[in-house]
Amino acid sequence: MPDEEVLEEGVLNPVQPEIQDPLLRELMADAPATAPALEVPQEKAQPTTAPLEEVDCVVIGLGAGGAPLLARLAQAGLKVVALEAGPWHNPEKDFATDEQAQDFLFWNDERLSAGGDPLAMGKNNSGTGVGGSTLHYTAYTPRPLPDDLHIKRDFGKGEDWPLTYDDLAPYYEEVEQFLGVSGPTPYPWGPSRPKGYALAPLPLNSAAQLMVRGAEKIGIRTSPAPNAALSARYYQEGVGWREACTNRGFCQAGCSNGAKASMDVTFIPLAVKYGAEIRPNSFVTEIERNAQGLITAVVYTQNGQQYRQPCRNLFLCGGSVETPRLLLMNELALSSGQVGHNLMAHPGVQVWGTFADEVRPNKGIPGGLISQDTHRPKDADFAGGYLLQSIGVMPVTFAGQVARGRKMWGQPLRDYMRNFNHIAGINILGDCMPHTSNYLELSDELDARQLPKPRLHFTAQENEHRMNAHAERIMRDIWEAAGATDIWAFNRYAHVIGTARMGLSGDDAVVDRDGRAFDVPNLYISDNSTFPSALSVNPALTIMALSLRTADKFLEREMRRDA
Amino acid sequence: MTAPHYPAGTVRALLPTAHVSDATRAALQQRLDAPADYVPQFLAPETFALLEAVAACLFPQPDRPEQPIPLAPSVDQRLLEGRSDGWRYDALPPDREAYRLGLGGIQEIAQALFGQDFERLDAGQQGQVVGALAGGNPPGTTWQTLNADRFFEEMLAELTTIYYAHPLAQEEIGYVGMADLPAWTKIGLNEKEAREVPMSE
Repeated sequence: MPDEEVLEEGVLNPVQPEIQDPLLRELMADAPATAPALEVPQEKAQPTTAPLEEVDCVVIGLGAGGAPLLARLAQAGLKVVALEAGPWHNPEKDFATDEQAQDFLFWNDERLSAGGDPLAMGKNNSGTGVGGSTLHYTAYTPRPLPDDLHIKRDFGKGEDWPLTYDDLAPYYEEVEQFLGVSGPTPYPWGPSRPKGYALAPLPLNSAAQLMVRGAEKIGIRTSPAPNAALSARYYQEGVGWREACTNRGFCQAGCSNGAKASMDVTFIPLAVKYGAEIRPNSFVTEIERNAQGLITAVVYTQNGQQYRQPCRNLFLCGGSVETPRLLLMNELALSSGQVGHNLMAHPGVQVWGTFADEVRPNKGIPGGLISQDTHRPKDADFAGGYLLQSIGVMPVTFAGQVARGRKMWGQPLRDYMRNFNHIAGINILGDCMPHTSNYLELSDELDARQLPKPRLHFTAQENEHRMNAHAERIMRDIWEAAGATDIWAFNRYAHVIGTARMGLSGDDAVVDRDGRAFDVPNLYISDNSTFPSALSVNPALTIMALSLRTADKFLEREMRRDA
Repeated sequence: MTAPHYPAGTVRALLPTAHVSDATRAALQQRLDAPADYVPQFLAPETFALLEAVAACLFPQPDRPEQPIPLAPSVDQRLLEGRSDGWRYDALPPDREAYRLGLGGIQEIAQALFGQDFERLDAGQQGQVVGALAGGNPPGTTWQTLNADRFFEEMLAELTTIYYAHPLAQEEIGYVGMADLPAWTKIGLNEKEAREVPMSE
């Protein structure tokens, strides 16, 4: 992997990449010069360094939303530049098997958490670096079930997606095959699939085995989970052979051997192979527009220097906090009134228990086992549903949750923590309804960059409370059946979703079904901010699928314009 | 079940071995080697001493009378450098201010309950002061503006994280996850590798 110095000198991508697609080549050759220089005068903090050449596309953010489309656009022969706020790591050398030492993976600029259920951010909910939060995602990659996208149709609440499962299915399959997702074939829930998972499931760790034991007794079906970590070596274009998972169990603190399909070992090397230029440590502050309202350039700071990168199109992929923050700071694409609104977070109640058996919960992938039997529970008094998953855990994360969740301290805390090797957990991931009291805004408090800190308001509503109660009951039943003692629940919410939603009309949505902003024709958004509803599954797979779809729709449009 | 006890020295014995990567070893060794005579750089000496006393109450270490796992220095360093863990309860002021106010508030509780400074109380009385804070409705003017629940949760979570990141605390709970090279192959229930220590009999 190239280091930053090499990148800055531009050695990585010294030549203009050849445009592969004949149609696109024509298109790029004929592309009209950018709109005449009728720029809206804007205040600039300081003069920028030497002007950079205009590129076809700038991509902001290199997580699950930015990396797949970056590769797609580069493969189509476009000149693309990616700006990532964080550094480019060498996981094999830099990543320690130590939670505290890995804190650099999280977005540690302070966010303010308000409301009745303030969202824990940082390690719970954010990421930075080339790869974004996929550097520390659990790599749990279940597909949503088809009715997840039609919660309003089925329950009269929440919002429907302007897309169907069938629109996304080919992209799910492509992502699963490309990443090398390990999982069961056939998958027990949802429609049958033309193709099974790329690899056999990963081995079940202790927590997963205990959940099988308990779930069987109370009649809940379980299955090894689909997970984007490799159960066997896998060939990756742009990378070569990626090695199998070594069961370190540190997925949430960074994978050091490339077995987990974070973006830095999958889509990003592919993008680089096709000529994409990656600029790490590049923090975007301004998005410039011309008199027609089209984006013409982005201004960013890299290693203390300010740069202005002109572009024909912008893909904003900063996630559900930084994406709306950039839009609000730049007063961009705000006409729907929805930017920052519809903030959702997955109910993620965890239930922990102590077992006489030796568990050693730090080994193996944390999320080994899944059940979607609770997707639409028959006895539900709420809209939507949730999935169940077993959870392994690292000791510092667990201890922090014990402190926050059980309010234990002193000798009782030390005594309880000595059970660490006998602890196992289950959690849920459930749908969440948008609500007017849940939104993101810019606060008056400035951060170290002199930019307003975002404030996130989140208060769980009746539907979430009912779902949590239902889920906690079931998980306690499973753990009791499995033989656990000292069972306790930790109420939490994970994944920030919404804040720039997609929809059919610019009256009530920020982007259309292709991710294109209604207000700004050359602005696309690709990340979990565009989700109209939260879905009852982990978001990463869907973010990647949407990212590829957005790239394809963009490329189709460019070709049509040419024809 | 009663919580298991594990033998001492396990993590320290594994650190020099090939089971631990260089990056991992560096992180853990640095914590083991931290000097015992830390001089506070952000908090005033008396405030730092108070934080140390509160930390000792939240994590009593009678088993390490000579050299307890240091907790307050990491807080002082973080406040000095202005580092954040990425979020803050909106109900609380910025971290430096929260610690300044909150520690003063703990002194207020000690005065209200026992007419003495916190450091001069015996362990049982200190426990009652912290208990009043943890209960969410402690006496003192500080707590009319500073959210006691949230302050206590944040301080406890930070000290807990510092404590369990330390190799000695990891020995205490029988954790050897740092020794993960070349791989874990025994990951099922009641399975362990030779390098994973059993509890003491």
